[in-house]
Amino acid sequence: MRKQGPMIICTLAGLILIFSRYFQVGRDLGMLTTWDRWFMLSSGMAIGVGAINLTILHAKNVMRRTQYWQSSVILLVCMYGYMALAIHQTTGAGIPLWIFQSFMVTANSTLFSMVVFFIFSAAFRAFRIRSREAALLGLVAIITMFGVAPIGDALIPGWSGLKDWLLDVPNMAGFRGIQIGAYLGAFATAIRILLGLERAHMGGGGR
Amino acid sequence: MLVADQPVLGIFARDLFPAFVLAAAVAVAVFFMIQRARSGASIPLIRRLPGIEALEEAIGRSTEMGKPVHYIPGLGDIRDPMTIASFAVLSFVSRLTASYDVRLICTNRNPVVYAIAEEVIRQSYLEAGRPDSFNPDDVRFMSDAQFAYCANVVGMLVRERPAAQILYGNFWAESMIIIEQGALIGSIQIGATAQVHQMPWFVACCDYALLGDEMYAASAYLSKEPVMTGTVVGQDIGKYICFVLILLGVIMSTVVGSNDHFLTRWLQ
Repeated sequence: MRKQGPMIICTLAGLILIFSRYFQVGRDLGMLTTWDRWFMLSSGMAIGVGAINLTILHAKNVMRRTQYWQSSVILLVCMYGYMALAIHQTTGAGIPLWIFQSFMVTANSTLFSMVVFFIFSAAFRAFRIRSREAALLGLVAIITMFGVAPIGDALIPGWSGLKDWLLDVPNMAGFRGIQIGAYLGAFATAIRILLGLERAHMGGGGR
Repeated sequence: MLVADQPVLGIFARDLFPAFVLAAAVAVAVFFMIQRARSGASIPLIRRLPGIEALEEAIGRSTEMGKPVHYIPGLGDIRDPMTIASFAVLSFVSRLTASYDVRLICTNRNPVVYAIAEEVIRQSYLEAGRPDSFNPDDVRFMSDAQFAYCANVVGMLVRERPAAQILYGNFWAESMIIIEQGALIGSIQIGATAQVHQMPWFVACCDYALLGDEMYAASAYLSKEPVMTGTVVGQDIGKYICFVLILLGVIMSTVVGSNDHFLTRWLQ
Protein backbone atom coordinates (compact mmCIF):
# COMPACT_ATOMS: atom_id res chain seq x y z
CA MET A 1 0.00 0.00 0.00
CA ARG A 2 3.02 2.27 0.56
CA LYS A 3 3.41 2.55 -3.21
CA GLN A 4 -0.13 1.83 -4.41
CA GLY A 5 -1.57 4.85 -2.58
CA PRO A 6 0.70 7.47 -4.24
CA MET A 7 0.34 5.62 -7.55
CA ILE A 8 -3.47 5.87 -7.44
CA ILE A 9 -3.27 9.58 -6.50
CA CYS A 10 -0.79 10.13 -9.37
CA THR A 11 -3.04 8.40 -11.93
CA LEU A 12 -6.15 10.23 -10.70
CA ALA A 13 -4.35 13.60 -10.83
CA GLY A 14 -3.23 12.85 -14.39
CA LEU A 15 -6.74 11.92 -15.51
CA ILE A 16 -8.25 15.02 -13.87
CA LEU A 17 -5.67 17.22 -15.64
CA ILE A 18 -6.47 15.61 -19.01
CA PHE A 19 -10.19 16.11 -18.32
CA SER A 20 -9.74 19.77 -17.34
CA ARG A 21 -7.63 20.55 -20.40
CA TYR A 22 -9.30 18.75 -23.28
CA PHE A 23 -12.94 18.66 -22.15
CA GLN A 24 -15.13 21.75 -22.17
CA VAL A 25 -16.84 20.84 -18.87
CA GLY A 26 -13.46 20.58 -17.16
CA ARG A 27 -12.47 23.97 -18.55
CA ASP A 28 -15.70 25.57 -17.44
CA LEU A 29 -15.07 24.29 -13.93
CA GLY A 30 -11.63 26.05 -13.95
CA MET A 31 -9.95 22.99 -12.47
CA LEU A 32 -6.60 23.72 -14.10
CA THR A 33 -6.28 27.02 -12.21
CA THR A 34 -7.16 25.32 -8.91
CA TRP A 35 -4.56 22.60 -9.47
CA ASP A 36 -1.94 25.18 -10.39
CA ARG A 37 -2.64 26.97 -7.09
CA TRP A 38 -2.25 23.70 -5.19
CA PHE A 39 1.08 23.11 -6.92
CA MET A 40 2.29 26.64 -6.06
CA LEU A 41 1.29 26.09 -2.45
CA SER A 42 3.08 22.75 -2.15
CA SER A 43 6.18 24.17 -3.91
CA GLY A 44 6.20 27.09 -1.47
CA MET A 45 6.15 24.68 1.44
CA ALA A 46 8.96 22.64 -0.13
CA ILE A 47 11.22 25.74 -0.07
CA GLY A 48 11.16 25.29 3.70
CA VAL A 49 12.44 21.71 3.26
CA GLY A 50 15.31 23.06 1.15
CA ALA A 51 16.14 25.70 3.76
CA ILE A 52 16.21 23.02 6.49
CA ASN A 53 18.58 20.88 4.39
CA LEU A 54 20.91 23.84 3.85
CA THR A 55 20.85 24.67 7.57
CA ILE A 56 21.63 21.10 8.67
CA LEU A 57 24.39 20.65 6.09
CA HIS A 58 26.17 23.92 6.81
CA ALA A 59 25.63 23.81 10.58
CA LYS A 60 27.38 20.41 10.54
CA ASN A 61 30.25 21.94 8.52
CA VAL A 62 30.64 24.70 11.13
CA MET A 63 30.40 22.38 14.14
CA ARG A 64 32.88 19.86 12.66
CA ARG A 65 35.17 22.67 11.44
CA THR A 66 35.44 21.00 8.02
CA GLN A 67 37.46 22.57 5.21
CA TYR A 68 36.07 25.99 4.17
CA TRP A 69 33.69 26.02 7.19
CA GLN A 70 33.91 29.82 7.13
CA SER A 71 31.94 29.81 3.87
CA SER A 72 29.18 27.90 5.63
CA VAL A 73 29.04 30.62 8.31
CA ILE A 74 28.70 33.29 5.60
CA LEU A 75 25.92 31.29 3.90
CA LEU A 76 23.93 30.82 7.11
CA VAL A 77 24.32 34.47 8.12
CA CYS A 78 23.24 35.65 4.65
CA MET A 79 20.29 33.25 4.44
CA TYR A 80 18.82 33.94 7.86
CA GLY A 81 19.82 37.62 7.84
CA TYR A 82 18.04 38.21 4.55
CA MET A 83 15.04 36.19 5.73
CA ALA A 84 14.76 38.32 8.88
CA LEU A 85 15.14 41.54 6.90
CA ALA A 86 12.54 40.45 4.35
CA ILE A 87 10.04 39.52 7.08
CA HIS A 88 10.65 42.90 8.72
CA GLN A 89 10.54 45.07 5.59
CA THR A 90 8.96 42.95 2.75
CA THR A 91 11.11 41.93 -0.23
CA GLY A 92 9.73 44.42 -2.75
CA ALA A 93 11.24 47.55 -1.19
CA GLY A 94 13.91 49.05 1.09
CA ILE A 95 17.12 47.30 2.09
CA PRO A 96 16.06 43.78 0.94
CA LEU A 97 15.42 45.10 -2.58
CA TRP A 98 18.71 47.04 -2.56
CA ILE A 99 20.62 43.92 -1.43
CA PHE A 100 18.91 41.83 -4.11
CA GLN A 101 19.63 44.28 -6.92
CA SER A 102 23.18 45.12 -5.81
CA PHE A 103 24.36 41.60 -5.01
CA MET A 104 22.12 38.95 -6.57
CA VAL A 105 21.45 40.62 -9.90
CA THR A 106 25.09 41.61 -10.45
CA ALA A 107 26.40 38.22 -9.32
CA ASN A 108 23.93 36.50 -11.66
CA SER A 109 25.02 38.69 -14.58
CA THR A 110 28.69 38.04 -13.80
CA LEU A 111 28.18 34.29 -13.80
CA PHE A 112 26.07 34.42 -16.93
CA SER A 113 28.76 36.41 -18.74
CA MET A 114 31.27 33.69 -17.83
CA VAL A 115 29.46 31.44 -20.29
CA VAL A 116 31.17 33.25 -23.16
CA PHE A 117 34.64 32.12 -22.00
CA PHE A 118 33.45 28.56 -21.60
CA ILE A 119 31.98 28.70 -25.11
CA PHE A 120 35.52 29.37 -26.39
CA SER A 121 37.01 26.32 -24.70
CA ALA A 122 34.03 24.15 -25.68
CA ALA A 123 34.19 25.39 -29.29
CA PHE A 124 37.91 24.58 -29.39
CA ARG A 125 37.16 20.97 -28.47
CA ALA A 126 34.12 20.70 -30.74
CA PHE A 127 35.81 22.14 -33.81
CA ARG A 128 38.89 19.91 -33.71
CA ILE A 129 38.57 18.10 -37.02
CA ARG A 130 38.76 14.40 -36.16
CA SER A 131 36.04 13.03 -38.40
CA ARG A 132 33.92 13.96 -41.41
CA GLU A 133 31.09 15.05 -39.10
CA ALA A 134 33.44 17.31 -37.12
CA ALA A 135 34.76 18.79 -40.39
CA LEU A 136 31.20 19.53 -41.52
CA LEU A 137 30.41 21.07 -38.12
CA GLY A 138 33.51 23.28 -38.37
CA LEU A 139 32.62 24.39 -41.91
CA VAL A 140 29.05 25.30 -40.95
CA ALA A 141 30.33 27.14 -37.87
CA ILE A 142 32.74 29.21 -40.00
CA ILE A 143 29.98 30.10 -42.50
CA THR A 144 27.62 31.08 -39.64
CA MET A 145 30.25 33.13 -37.78
CA PHE A 146 31.23 35.03 -40.92
CA GLY A 147 27.53 35.52 -41.72
CA VAL A 148 26.78 37.04 -38.32
CA ALA A 149 29.88 39.32 -38.31
CA PRO A 150 29.89 42.30 -40.75
CA ILE A 151 33.11 41.03 -42.33
CA GLY A 152 31.22 38.19 -44.07
CA ASP A 153 29.07 40.47 -46.22
CA ALA A 154 32.01 42.85 -46.73
CA LEU A 155 34.17 40.05 -48.19
CA ILE A 156 31.47 38.29 -50.23
CA PRO A 157 28.17 40.17 -50.70
CA GLY A 158 25.21 37.95 -49.80
CA TRP A 159 27.19 35.81 -47.35
CA SER A 160 24.65 36.47 -44.57
CA GLY A 161 21.94 34.99 -46.88
CA LEU A 162 23.80 31.67 -46.82
CA LYS A 163 23.93 31.85 -43.03
CA ASP A 164 20.18 32.61 -42.89
CA TRP A 165 19.42 29.66 -45.16
CA LEU A 166 21.55 27.34 -42.99
CA LEU A 167 19.74 28.48 -39.85
CA ASP A 168 16.23 28.59 -41.29
CA VAL A 169 16.20 25.43 -43.40
CA PRO A 170 18.54 22.54 -42.42
CA ASN A 171 19.04 23.73 -38.82
CA MET A 172 15.34 24.38 -38.24
CA ALA A 173 14.37 21.04 -39.80
CA GLY A 174 16.72 19.14 -37.48
CA PHE A 175 15.64 21.27 -34.52
CA ARG A 176 11.95 20.52 -35.08
CA GLY A 177 12.60 16.82 -35.74
CA ILE A 178 14.35 16.51 -32.38
CA GLN A 179 11.57 18.48 -30.70
CA ILE A 180 8.81 16.23 -32.12
CA GLY A 181 10.74 13.17 -30.92
CA ALA A 182 11.22 14.72 -27.48
CA TYR A 183 7.52 15.58 -27.13
CA LEU A 184 6.53 12.05 -28.11
CA GLY A 185 9.04 10.69 -25.60
CA ALA A 186 7.54 12.88 -22.88
CA PHE A 187 4.08 11.69 -23.91
CA ALA A 188 5.10 8.01 -23.67
CA THR A 189 6.62 8.73 -20.23
CA ALA A 190 3.31 10.31 -19.15
CA ILE A 191 1.40 7.20 -20.28
CA ARG A 192 3.85 4.96 -18.37
CA ILE A 193 3.22 7.04 -15.23
CA LEU A 194 -0.56 7.02 -15.71
CA LEU A 195 -0.51 3.24 -16.08
CA GLY A 196 1.79 2.84 -13.10
CA LEU A 197 4.55 1.27 -15.19
CA GLU A 198 7.07 3.98 -14.31
CA ARG A 199 7.42 4.41 -10.56
CA ALA A 200 11.01 5.56 -10.04
CA HIS A 201 9.82 8.96 -8.82
CA MET A 202 8.22 7.18 -5.87
CA GLY A 203 11.56 5.82 -4.74
CA GLY A 204 13.37 2.58 -5.42
CA GLY A 205 13.89 0.55 -8.54
CA GLY A 206 10.91 1.93 -10.36
CA ARG A 207 8.97 -1.25 -10.94
CA MET B 1 -22.25 31.74 -28.49
CA LEU B 2 -20.37 31.58 -31.82
CA VAL B 3 -20.00 28.22 -33.60
CA ALA B 4 -16.20 28.63 -33.38
CA ASP B 5 -16.42 28.63 -29.56
CA GLN B 6 -18.78 25.69 -29.29
CA PRO B 7 -17.33 22.38 -28.07
CA VAL B 8 -16.65 19.71 -30.71
CA LEU B 9 -19.25 16.90 -30.43
CA GLY B 10 -20.61 18.83 -27.48
CA ILE B 11 -17.81 17.80 -25.08
CA PHE B 12 -14.30 18.53 -26.42
CA ALA B 13 -12.60 21.95 -26.15
CA ARG B 14 -12.44 23.24 -29.73
CA ASP B 15 -8.92 24.76 -29.72
CA LEU B 16 -7.24 21.58 -28.45
CA PHE B 17 -9.37 19.04 -30.34
CA PRO B 18 -6.74 18.30 -33.07
CA ALA B 19 -4.10 17.89 -30.33
CA PHE B 20 -6.47 15.56 -28.47
CA VAL B 21 -7.03 13.43 -31.60
CA LEU B 22 -3.27 13.16 -32.21
CA ALA B 23 -2.58 12.37 -28.55
CA ALA B 24 -5.33 9.74 -28.58
CA ALA B 25 -3.85 8.16 -31.74
CA VAL B 26 -0.40 7.89 -30.13
CA ALA B 27 -1.96 6.63 -26.87
CA VAL B 28 -3.82 3.89 -28.80
CA ALA B 29 -0.53 2.89 -30.48
CA VAL B 30 1.22 2.72 -27.08
CA PHE B 31 -1.64 0.68 -25.52
CA PHE B 32 -1.61 -1.68 -28.52
CA MET B 33 2.12 -2.31 -28.12
CA ILE B 34 1.74 -2.82 -24.35
CA GLN B 35 -0.98 -5.42 -24.98
CA ARG B 36 1.19 -7.06 -27.61
CA ALA B 37 4.08 -7.28 -25.15
CA ARG B 38 1.78 -8.69 -22.42
CA SER B 39 0.48 -11.36 -24.76
CA GLY B 40 4.03 -12.52 -25.35
CA ALA B 41 4.28 -11.39 -28.98
CA SER B 42 7.69 -10.24 -30.18
CA ILE B 43 8.57 -6.58 -29.59
CA PRO B 44 11.44 -4.87 -31.42
CA LEU B 45 14.49 -4.20 -29.27
CA ILE B 46 15.63 -0.68 -28.38
CA ARG B 47 18.87 0.12 -30.19
CA ARG B 48 22.04 0.36 -28.13
CA LEU B 49 22.31 3.60 -26.17
CA PRO B 50 26.04 4.20 -25.52
CA GLY B 51 25.26 6.92 -22.97
CA ILE B 52 23.36 4.47 -20.77
CA GLU B 53 25.91 1.70 -21.29
CA ALA B 54 28.60 4.15 -20.15
CA LEU B 55 26.95 4.73 -16.75
CA GLU B 56 28.48 1.55 -15.33
CA GLU B 57 31.87 2.43 -16.81
CA ALA B 58 31.72 5.93 -15.27
CA ILE B 59 30.77 4.61 -11.83
CA GLY B 60 33.43 1.88 -12.09
CA ARG B 61 36.01 4.56 -12.86
CA SER B 62 34.94 6.54 -9.78
CA THR B 63 35.25 3.40 -7.67
CA GLU B 64 38.78 2.72 -8.93
CA MET B 65 39.83 6.32 -8.32
CA GLY B 66 38.13 6.48 -4.92
CA LYS B 67 36.30 9.63 -5.92
CA PRO B 68 32.59 10.43 -5.78
CA VAL B 69 29.98 10.41 -8.56
CA HIS B 70 28.05 13.64 -9.09
CA TYR B 71 24.44 13.49 -10.34
CA ILE B 72 22.25 16.43 -11.37
CA PRO B 73 18.55 15.71 -12.06
CA GLY B 74 18.31 18.93 -14.07
CA LEU B 75 17.03 22.34 -13.07
CA GLY B 76 13.42 21.74 -14.01
CA ASP B 77 10.66 21.31 -11.47
CA ILE B 78 8.69 18.15 -10.78
CA ARG B 79 6.16 18.96 -13.55
CA ASP B 80 8.95 18.67 -16.11
CA PRO B 81 8.89 15.28 -17.92
CA MET B 82 12.70 15.41 -18.16
CA THR B 83 12.92 15.49 -14.36
CA ILE B 84 10.56 12.52 -14.08
CA ALA B 85 12.66 10.60 -16.64
CA SER B 86 15.75 11.47 -14.63
CA PHE B 87 14.55 9.64 -11.51
CA ALA B 88 14.64 6.24 -13.27
CA VAL B 89 18.31 6.81 -14.12
CA LEU B 90 19.05 8.23 -10.65
CA SER B 91 17.56 5.07 -9.18
CA PHE B 92 19.81 2.91 -11.40
CA VAL B 93 22.90 5.02 -10.66
CA SER B 94 22.30 5.01 -6.90
CA ARG B 95 21.85 1.23 -6.84
CA LEU B 96 25.19 0.90 -8.66
CA THR B 97 26.98 3.33 -6.34
CA ALA B 98 25.50 1.48 -3.36
CA SER B 99 26.71 -1.90 -4.60
CA TYR B 100 30.18 -0.53 -5.56
CA ASP B 101 30.30 1.37 -2.25
CA VAL B 102 31.19 4.66 -3.93
CA ARG B 103 29.94 8.06 -2.78
CA LEU B 104 27.07 9.62 -4.74
CA ILE B 105 26.56 13.37 -4.54
CA CYS B 106 23.24 14.62 -5.88
CA THR B 107 22.80 18.39 -6.14
CA ASN B 108 19.38 19.96 -6.63
CA ARG B 109 17.97 23.30 -7.59
CA ASN B 110 14.32 22.58 -6.89
CA PRO B 111 13.27 21.78 -3.31
CA VAL B 112 10.51 19.36 -4.40
CA VAL B 113 12.92 17.52 -6.70
CA TYR B 114 15.47 17.48 -3.85
CA ALA B 115 13.00 15.77 -1.49
CA ILE B 116 12.10 13.14 -4.11
CA ALA B 117 15.74 12.57 -5.13
CA GLU B 118 16.64 11.92 -1.49
CA GLU B 119 13.84 9.34 -1.21
CA VAL B 120 14.84 7.67 -4.51
CA ILE B 121 18.47 7.34 -3.40
CA ARG B 122 17.59 6.22 0.14
CA GLN B 123 15.29 3.51 -1.26
CA SER B 124 17.92 2.34 -3.76
CA TYR B 125 20.54 1.99 -1.01
CA LEU B 126 17.98 0.01 1.00
CA GLU B 127 17.23 -2.28 -1.96
CA ALA B 128 20.96 -2.77 -2.57
CA GLY B 129 21.30 -3.93 1.04
CA ARG B 130 23.49 -1.02 2.10
CA PRO B 131 21.23 1.40 4.00
CA ASP B 132 24.15 2.43 6.25
CA SER B 133 26.15 3.70 3.26
CA PHE B 134 23.49 6.27 2.43
CA ASN B 135 24.58 9.72 3.55
CA PRO B 136 21.71 12.26 3.53
CA ASP B 137 24.29 15.09 3.49
CA ASP B 138 25.32 14.03 -0.02
CA VAL B 139 21.86 14.84 -1.38
CA ARG B 140 21.94 18.60 -1.37
CA PHE B 141 19.59 21.45 -2.06
CA MET B 142 21.91 24.18 -3.38
CA SER B 143 19.76 27.17 -4.26
CA ASP B 144 16.53 27.95 -6.06
CA ALA B 145 18.29 30.67 -8.13
CA GLN B 146 19.82 29.39 -11.39
CA PHE B 147 23.27 30.96 -11.17
CA ALA B 148 23.55 30.70 -7.39
CA TYR B 149 22.99 26.97 -7.92
CA CYS B 150 25.58 26.97 -10.70
CA ALA B 151 28.20 28.75 -8.53
CA ASN B 152 27.52 26.31 -5.72
CA VAL B 153 27.95 23.29 -8.01
CA VAL B 154 31.18 24.66 -9.51
CA GLY B 155 32.54 25.19 -5.98
CA MET B 156 31.57 21.65 -5.04
CA LEU B 157 33.23 20.26 -8.19
CA VAL B 158 36.50 21.99 -7.33
CA ARG B 159 36.42 20.82 -3.69
CA GLU B 160 35.16 17.26 -4.09
CA ARG B 161 36.57 16.54 -7.60
CA PRO B 162 34.11 13.79 -8.65
CA ALA B 163 35.49 11.29 -11.16
CA ALA B 164 32.14 11.04 -12.94
CA GLN B 165 29.45 13.61 -13.55
CA ILE B 166 25.97 12.73 -14.81
CA LEU B 167 23.68 15.51 -15.98
CA TYR B 168 20.23 14.12 -16.70
CA GLY B 169 17.27 16.47 -17.08
CA ASN B 170 16.35 19.98 -18.11
CA PHE B 171 19.19 22.51 -18.27
CA TRP B 172 19.67 26.12 -19.34
CA ALA B 173 22.70 28.39 -19.73
CA GLU B 174 24.37 27.11 -16.54
CA SER B 175 24.96 23.69 -18.13
CA MET B 176 27.89 25.10 -20.12
CA ILE B 177 29.67 26.32 -16.98
CA ILE B 178 29.04 23.09 -15.07
CA ILE B 179 30.11 20.80 -17.93
CA GLU B 180 33.24 22.81 -18.68
CA GLN B 181 34.20 22.80 -15.00
CA GLY B 182 33.66 19.03 -15.02
CA ALA B 183 35.99 18.75 -18.03
CA LEU B 184 38.62 20.89 -16.25
CA ILE B 185 38.73 18.56 -13.24
CA GLY B 186 38.90 15.52 -15.54
CA SER B 187 35.50 13.97 -14.83
CA ILE B 188 33.97 11.51 -17.27
CA GLN B 189 30.71 13.21 -18.22
CA ILE B 190 27.39 11.79 -19.36
CA GLY B 191 24.77 14.33 -20.37
CA ALA B 192 21.12 13.85 -21.29
CA THR B 193 18.58 16.49 -22.14
CA ALA B 194 15.62 17.18 -24.41
CA GLN B 195 16.22 20.92 -24.13
CA VAL B 196 17.15 21.70 -27.75
CA HIS B 197 19.08 24.89 -26.96
CA GLN B 198 21.51 23.03 -24.69
CA MET B 199 22.02 19.98 -26.91
CA PRO B 200 24.98 21.43 -28.85
CA TRP B 201 26.93 21.92 -25.60
CA PHE B 202 26.14 18.43 -24.42
CA VAL B 203 27.37 16.99 -27.72
CA ALA B 204 30.49 19.17 -27.75
CA CYS B 205 31.52 18.83 -24.12
CA CYS B 206 30.22 15.55 -22.67
CA ASP B 207 31.89 12.20 -23.26
CA TYR B 208 28.47 10.65 -23.90
CA ALA B 209 25.24 12.44 -24.75
CA LEU B 210 21.62 11.30 -24.84
CA LEU B 211 19.45 13.67 -26.80
CA GLY B 212 15.74 14.22 -27.20
CA ASP B 213 13.63 11.09 -26.97
CA GLU B 214 16.68 8.96 -26.09
CA MET B 215 16.58 10.30 -22.54
CA TYR B 216 12.95 9.21 -22.14
CA ALA B 217 13.70 5.73 -23.47
CA ALA B 218 16.35 5.15 -20.80
CA SER B 219 13.97 3.74 -18.18
CA ALA B 220 12.62 1.19 -20.66
CA TYR B 221 16.17 0.42 -21.84
CA LEU B 222 17.38 -0.15 -18.29
CA SER B 223 14.39 -2.27 -17.27
CA LYS B 224 14.67 -4.53 -20.36
CA GLU B 225 10.99 -5.42 -19.77
CA PRO B 226 8.94 -6.05 -22.95
CA VAL B 227 5.99 -3.98 -21.63
CA MET B 228 8.23 -0.94 -21.06
CA THR B 229 9.89 -1.47 -24.45
CA GLY B 230 6.39 -1.64 -25.95
CA THR B 231 5.71 1.95 -24.85
CA VAL B 232 8.84 3.09 -26.72
CA VAL B 233 7.71 1.21 -29.84
CA GLY B 234 4.28 2.87 -29.52
CA GLN B 235 6.05 6.23 -29.31
CA ASP B 236 7.87 5.38 -32.56
CA ILE B 237 4.50 4.72 -34.23
CA GLY B 238 3.65 8.28 -33.14
CA LYS B 239 6.71 9.43 -35.07
CA TYR B 240 5.39 7.72 -38.20
CA ILE B 241 2.03 9.49 -37.72
CA CYS B 242 3.87 12.84 -37.46
CA PHE B 243 5.96 11.97 -40.52
CA VAL B 244 2.82 11.21 -42.57
CA LEU B 245 1.22 14.49 -41.42
CA ILE B 246 4.34 16.48 -42.34
CA LEU B 247 4.50 14.79 -45.75
CA LEU B 248 0.81 15.45 -46.33
CA GLY B 249 1.30 19.09 -45.30
CA VAL B 250 4.22 19.53 -47.72
CA ILE B 251 2.22 17.99 -50.60
CA MET B 252 -0.89 20.04 -49.82
CA SER B 253 1.07 23.31 -49.52
CA THR B 254 2.86 22.56 -52.83
CA VAL B 255 -0.38 21.71 -54.65
CA VAL B 256 -2.46 24.58 -53.21
CA GLY B 257 0.46 27.04 -53.45
CA SER B 258 -0.08 28.42 -49.95
CA ASN B 259 -0.50 27.21 -46.37
CA ASP B 260 -4.24 27.87 -46.51
CA HIS B 261 -5.65 24.36 -46.83
CA PHE B 262 -7.78 21.97 -44.74
CA LEU B 263 -4.82 20.40 -42.89
CA THR B 264 -3.42 23.66 -41.49
CA ARG B 265 -6.93 24.94 -40.79
CA TRP B 266 -7.76 21.74 -38.89
CA LEU B 267 -4.49 21.69 -36.95
CA GLN B 268 -4.87 25.33 -35.98
